[in-house]
Amino acid sequence: MPESEATCCQEPEVDFVVLDRIIRDEFGGRREAMIMMMQTIQRRYRYLPEPALYYLSQVLGVPITKIYEVATFYASFSLVPKGKHLLHVCTGTACHLKGSGGMVRHVAAKLGIAPGATTPDMKFTLETVNCLGACAVSPVVVFDDKYYPQATVGQLNEFIEKVNAE
Amino acid sequence: MKIIMDGKEVAAERGQTIVEVARRNGVYIPTLCHVPALEPAAMCRVCTVELVEGRRTRLVTSCNYPLRGDAEIRTDTPMLRQNRKVLIELLASRCPDAEALKELAERYGADLNRFPAEDRQCIMCGLCARVCERVGGNVLALCGRGVEIRVDTSFGRLSPTCIGCASCVQICPVNAIRIEDMDGERRVIVRGKEASRVQLRKCTSCGIHFGPVIDLGPVLDRAGEGGVPAFNASVCPACSRRSLARRLAERHFEQHAVESPDADEEG
Ligand code: SF4
Ligand code: FES
Ligand code: FES
Repeated sequence: MPESEATCCQEPEVDFVVLDRIIRDEFGGRREAMIMMMQTIQRRYRYLPEPALYYLSQVLGVPITKIYEVATFYASFSLVPKGKHLLHVCTGTACHLKGSGGMVRHVAAKLGIAPGATTPDMKFTLETVNCLGACAVSPVVVFDDKYYPQATVGQLNEFIEKVNAE
Repeated sequence: MKIIMDGKEVAAERGQTIVEVARRNGVYIPTLCHVPALEPAAMCRVCTVELVEGRRTRLVTSCNYPLRGDAEIRTDTPMLRQNRKVLIELLASRCPDAEALKELAERYGADLNRFPAEDRQCIMCGLCARVCERVGGNVLALCGRGVEIRVDTSFGRLSPTCIGCASCVQICPVNAIRIEDMDGERRVIVRGKEASRVQLRKCTSCGIHFGPVIDLGPVLDRAGEGGVPAFNASVCPACSRRSLARRLAERHFEQHAVESPDADEEG
């Protein structure tokens, strides 16, 4: 996964009131809920901003190293900003056999980015996953949290056009 | 509780791990990621032993397997030796020059060049991160997962919390971490990358740099010895020895001058 390097210039301002709401109100400040807090923070900012993790570490009394370990362990967490729209293409065994590799290459070429990367205008991020657990309807893609079974290249083109038209 | 280890009954207390029992009874089990003072993490797997369960045996990592009842353990069967041999060969592909691996390779007949080497200077045992958490300033983390695990600081930045204790340097079985004292600063270098910088104390007498300037408070707190005054010397150990020697000599001559002017045979 992309690592700590250059965070982007357009980093959003981290709002500590919002963080407090997530950490204390929503999850009662319980350490056990740390991963869920991180997921909620990520949903809000589309990645895990560094200041937010430091704040989380302070409030929960969990060393920042431990939080960083968790953030780098799970592929679904990102430490670099993600695009406004997220496309996941499954490259698990079943989907691979149904040609998802070609779909990834198609999108990558069309957007001019590598899998895992975000377009420079921050509109589109292309990710691959290793099986979504829906192999029976492969190939599967997820676009902005919505699942598309038996996806086609035509559908992917539609997504890209939609985003580009914005 | 009756524990049989390699056919002999050995002394053991409930809750002790297999490695602890083995060490106590002089039975050798190789370990790479275990030190008695730290929580076991079972990262390297070379300490795997066979636990006999009825007619079958089960492989368990002995460093983190606590014994709670009667058990029979085999620590050195052909299967385990083969297992360890392959493990060492695989680890050697990450750390071709590690002394610790050479020693084990000799013992188990492993071929250190069996797999193409890619020197990553790390066998991912996690000891540095664990000791840094316990002793140091919680600087080092195991990032990522699987074969991509690497030791790094949070966000890959120079860490502000390092106390320059060098525990990580001491504990690393493959010497991947080193410390450089230069220009009044101590640098901790993990696999060639600078992890932290700590200011060094300057001796007020001879001017050399010694020990790091650190805030020991949190460390002593963690050790449960909050009342111990923090190290705060202003002269280096050498100067302090010299000045002690000088004071002793002065006292010696004073005493001799007063009490026994001609008793200089006595050492
Ligand atoms: S020298 Fe720094 S990084 Fe190494 S164990 Fe001590 S505090 Fe941690
Ligand atoms: S392989 Fe794609 S859903 Fe399982
Ligand atoms: S010493 Fe037990 S797994 Fe490394």
